[in-house]
Amino acid sequence: MNTKELIEKIKNIVRGHSLYMLHYCTGCGAIELPPTMTSRFDMERLGIAPMATPRQADILLITGYLSKKTLRRVIYTYEQMQSPKWVVGFGSCTINGGIYYDSYSTINRLDLYLPVDLYIAGCMPRPEAIINGFKKLISMIEKGDAKGWEHYIENKKWYKKNQKKALGNSLYTTR
Amino acid sequence: MKEVKLFHGPNHPGMHGNFSVHLTVDGDTVKKAKPNPGMLHRGFEKLMERRLWLNNIALIPRVCVPEPDLNEAVYSMAVEKIQNLEIPERAKYIRVLMMELARISVHMMSIGGIGGPTGVYTAPNWALADRDLILDIFEKITGHRVYHMYIVPGGVRQDIDEKTFRFIENTIRDIEKRLKDYKEIIFESPIIHKRLKGTAPLTKEQALNWGVTGPGLRSTGEKYDVRKQFPYFVYDKLDFDIPVADKSDAFTRLYLKYLEVKQSIKIIKQVINKIPKGKVRLKLTGTALKWKIKKGEAYGKVESSRGEFGYYVVSDGGRSPYRVQVRGASYPQGLYGIEAGLPETRLEDVAIWLDTMGVCAPEIDR
Amino acid sequence: MNQNEIIKKIENEFNIDKKDIKKIDSKQFKAFIKNSQIIDFLTYLKNIGFWQLSLITAVDWVDDNKFEIVYNLVSWELEQNILVKTDISRKNPKITSVINIWPAAKYYEWDVNEYFGIDFIGNPNNGKELFLENWDGPPPMRKDFDPLKYSKNKFPEKDYKNFKMKKQSEVIE
Repeated sequence: MNTKELIEKIKNIVRGHSLYMLHYCTGCGAIELPPTMTSRFDMERLGIAPMATPRQADILLITGYLSKKTLRRVIYTYEQMQSPKWVVGFGSCTINGGIYYDSYSTINRLDLYLPVDLYIAGCMPRPEAIINGFKKLISMIEKGDAKGWEHYIENKKWYKKNQKKALGNSLYTTR
Repeated sequence: MKEVKLFHGPNHPGMHGNFSVHLTVDGDTVKKAKPNPGMLHRGFEKLMERRLWLNNIALIPRVCVPEPDLNEAVYSMAVEKIQNLEIPERAKYIRVLMMELARISVHMMSIGGIGGPTGVYTAPNWALADRDLILDIFEKITGHRVYHMYIVPGGVRQDIDEKTFRFIENTIRDIEKRLKDYKEIIFESPIIHKRLKGTAPLTKEQALNWGVTGPGLRSTGEKYDVRKQFPYFVYDKLDFDIPVADKSDAFTRLYLKYLEVKQSIKIIKQVINKIPKGKVRLKLTGTALKWKIKKGEAYGKVESSRGEFGYYVVSDGGRSPYRVQVRGASYPQGLYGIEAGLPETRLEDVAIWLDTMGVCAPEIDR
Repeated sequence: MNQNEIIKKIENEFNIDKKDIKKIDSKQFKAFIKNSQIIDFLTYLKNIGFWQLSLITAVDWVDDNKFEIVYNLVSWELEQNILVKTDISRKNPKITSVINIWPAAKYYEWDVNEYFGIDFIGNPNNGKELFLENWDGPPPMRKDFDPLKYSKNKFPEKDYKNFKMKKQSEVIE
């Protein structure tokens, strides 16, 4: 292979081994994140650490359901992150609505509004399942399979139409 | 100087949960504050009217996420008051055991949570590892680490055998040996003294006017606790003490939680020695699909780690509840307390105020 | 004082009928008051020892065409809990606010106003939004609002009829 492909392959291996996760607890699945980050099931030995601002983070972790008010702020945060970036859906509420399927205030499917790379199943997932999911994400990044951010840029009109149907015309105005 | 408007928003490393506050700041002092709840709103009270009486046990633990056992216990208490059921003695002792284990695990998470606002990251690494041993006990009794679905109207679902009681005794003994080290590393460290002593004070008149209960009221000197004044299950037969402090600031409110963990360990040891033999669940009339409750209403309440936690249940004789209202324990200090108590503090102390007063977002929004 | 003495004292000093006060438990009882006397009764209760306001809530009785508002008061010294209930009409719901007696009642009343549409005369926050944002429907906790229909209309669900398993290389739809 020529030099361009070789450099791309080395870049993918290096990206997969130092990931920063945005420290934003959006739903009730976030109660199993502190045990994963501290000393019993240590997550830092895989190279993943929490980070405070979205401008310096790589992974956005949607833990559980999303209400309408949080969806507005999550879209604003996702567009502030710099590529390459990945989105992980956590729990069964992101797949088909979960236990709140008939609520007037929570969404039913996440991948109509944001491009999702990986789902982790459970209600809620144990710390061993979270680490297993992250190992799969690292192997997907090394092979070059996870390209969610390019899908968002190419199909932007379709995503914006879905977001306006759920939130009304005011996508960025808050109180 | 000009005044600037800031969002102390939902994406903050010192904030527990999804809650935001709008601040108006002049230099470094806060002039006005307004809470902005509602990011975790799911409409629980409407969902509970559409399910049967026993189906709601699968939905209810998600109302207060750090301490899920309280929700099931309060719902069962209110239903048993309307229907006049009397549950067996062994079931009451097992319910007390589950509530005290939940109280120890939530206080450990609070002691560890001081690491986010101040930067002392030794505290979470120690406290959350000890809390995990208690989640192992829950897994042996019920099968799930966090959401148990174990306490139902009429008793509890399964019995506990002798091998599990020996496991509980050994784990509690291990945790008690390690509690001495917490005092040296966390409560006598000079960083915690400099950041927490004197910040976020609370006077007795403020606490009585707002309606604050729990450790916030006990740290100003009033000795009020739901377990002594309105006793429920078998708390009037057990022997325990209630710690009180003189002056309320952030350091004494955190230290009271450490003292309450020691009292909970004393209660658990008495329960394991005194528990009688017998059945654990009443037989209901008919099947679960056709179980109906009489007409009436009742209000059940327990003592959580932040104050008085209650449910108001109304029944009209049908197969589902007619109306349920949740009274979260941090409702007074999370909504009115921020508007009246946060002005005249410094900007870097806002996170410590919200952490030690005990503002828990899911039970305000439900 | 035990519970029977407290009930007798309230009946005598306020002239309430015997059938309007009932016991629920050994530490809980409920009382039913007319709409015009509610502010005097609550001030009287605060003076004899029920100084903490725990909860203000509302129940929607659609068949009888009325709303019922419930106040929950606690006294830690006497160790009793009282539920005070009153009725208002469903077509034009209005009631006086208790914000002069307990200042922390501002947020309990704002909560009931947002979910049921009841007007509290004297509260400065009538009609503003606290928990919901840009809401475009009727007040959600009334009994004639169907949440399942609203949810299927606005948030589309996952389609399982034409579902087949994907190959490993197709990651997103």
